[in-house]
Amino acid sequence: MAKKVVAIVKLALNAGKANPAPPVGPALGQHGVNIMAFCKEYNAKTAEQTGTVIPVEISIFEDRSFTFVLKTPPASVLIKKAAKIETGSNEPNKKKVGQITTAQLQEIAQIKLPDLNANDIDAAMKIVAGTARNMGVAIVD
Amino acid sequence: MSNSWWEIKIDCVPDLEENIFWRLSEFGCKGMSTQKQGKEITISAYIPQTQVKLLEISDLSLQLEDDANEIGSPLPVTKCNLIDEEDWSSSWKQHWQPQPIGDRLLINPAWLEVPTDPDRTILQLDPGVAFGTGTHATTQLCLEALEMRLQPGNGLTIADIGCGSGILSTAAFLLGAKQIYAVDNDPLAVKATGENRDLNGIPAANLIVELGSIDRLQAMLPEPVDGFVCNILADVIVQLAPSMSALVKPKGWAILSGILSSQVADVSHVLEQHGWTVGTVWNRLEWSCINLKYK
Repeated sequence: MAKKVVAIVKLALNAGKANPAPPVGPALGQHGVNIMAFCKEYNAKTAEQTGTVIPVEISIFEDRSFTFVLKTPPASVLIKKAAKIETGSNEPNKKKVGQITTAQLQEIAQIKLPDLNANDIDAAMKIVAGTARNMGVAIVD
Repeated sequence: MSNSWWEIKIDCVPDLEENIFWRLSEFGCKGMSTQKQGKEITISAYIPQTQVKLLEISDLSLQLEDDANEIGSPLPVTKCNLIDEEDWSSSWKQHWQPQPIGDRLLINPAWLEVPTDPDRTILQLDPGVAFGTGTHATTQLCLEALEMRLQPGNGLTIADIGCGSGILSTAAFLLGAKQIYAVDNDPLAVKATGENRDLNGIPAANLIVELGSIDRLQAMLPEPVDGFVCNILADVIVQLAPSMSALVKPKGWAILSGILSSQVADVSHVLEQHGWTVGTVWNRLEWSCINLKYK
């Protein structure tokens, strides 16, 4: 059925672990969305990716039904994986905790491109590079 | 279990979303939500009150501003407040109430007690992800049209193309149809229809639902049906129009919706070319429902 989308909510959640606690409950509950139905479907679709964050974009319709699409993992998750680090730096300007190559940066930007506010790969690389710098991850050639 | 949560809301440009996610996850927030507000976004994240102090949230706010400066983006605006924990697994249900539709039906959310309204047929509905909750104008128009077509005891056989939650198929049985064949190309809809059928105590043999579109439906039918309902989209209805006549008996009927009022003329024209006659067009808000007869 054709219906107007009344809200688009994006959630960044641990794959296979969605539950009614925040941020899911407050974000979807205010729109009258069946939260358990969402959690069940999200967990089923992301079960094989447990251990990583899989963002999801939920379109909520006038009659409170909804659809959702899974998005690419956050840049910081991909950066940590590429740099083989567990956490970032508290003082990114002074203390670097890891590094990724420009090629790895481009690869991450390519993965993220569909979901970023970027028209081309260069703009996507700029956004990912900014996140990497703030995490204390150096970019090397 | 009473608890409070810090709700941290950050207004920023979309370029900062990835970086803010990083900061929030390092801060201890388990996930976040994002909603667009014009050209900006509002990011919401939550953390138990016992886990951090207000001063630490202020530090986070400064950190986010430093990050924005580093990237060369406009500064984000961070606000926070305390919210009480509630049972989010059920609090969304407060948005749902029993809803009378037409003269004979009452759509009742499955978790509410069955009303003792002797004047109305109660349709129990568990709204999941599938379309069709009874609150949309097109669903209501189709339900009212079914009510007009169906009477207890007239034993009609009908089909439902794009059954969604199964609300129309279920209503058809409750209003007097003897046999319903339903299809949807979304497995979640097929599942939901089966569940809502069972919820209303309808024998599975009387409401058969399968995955697929009109081709599958044609294969399911032992003989043409008296009428069918199709609440999808104008474009899809136009695509299906050539195959619709094979579904019904001579002088069979159709109830079509999901059509914007501005699309009625074009859709009607296509249907008339395939042997259908437009009986009535019902309008609600910007939506229409076309009632048709086959030659």
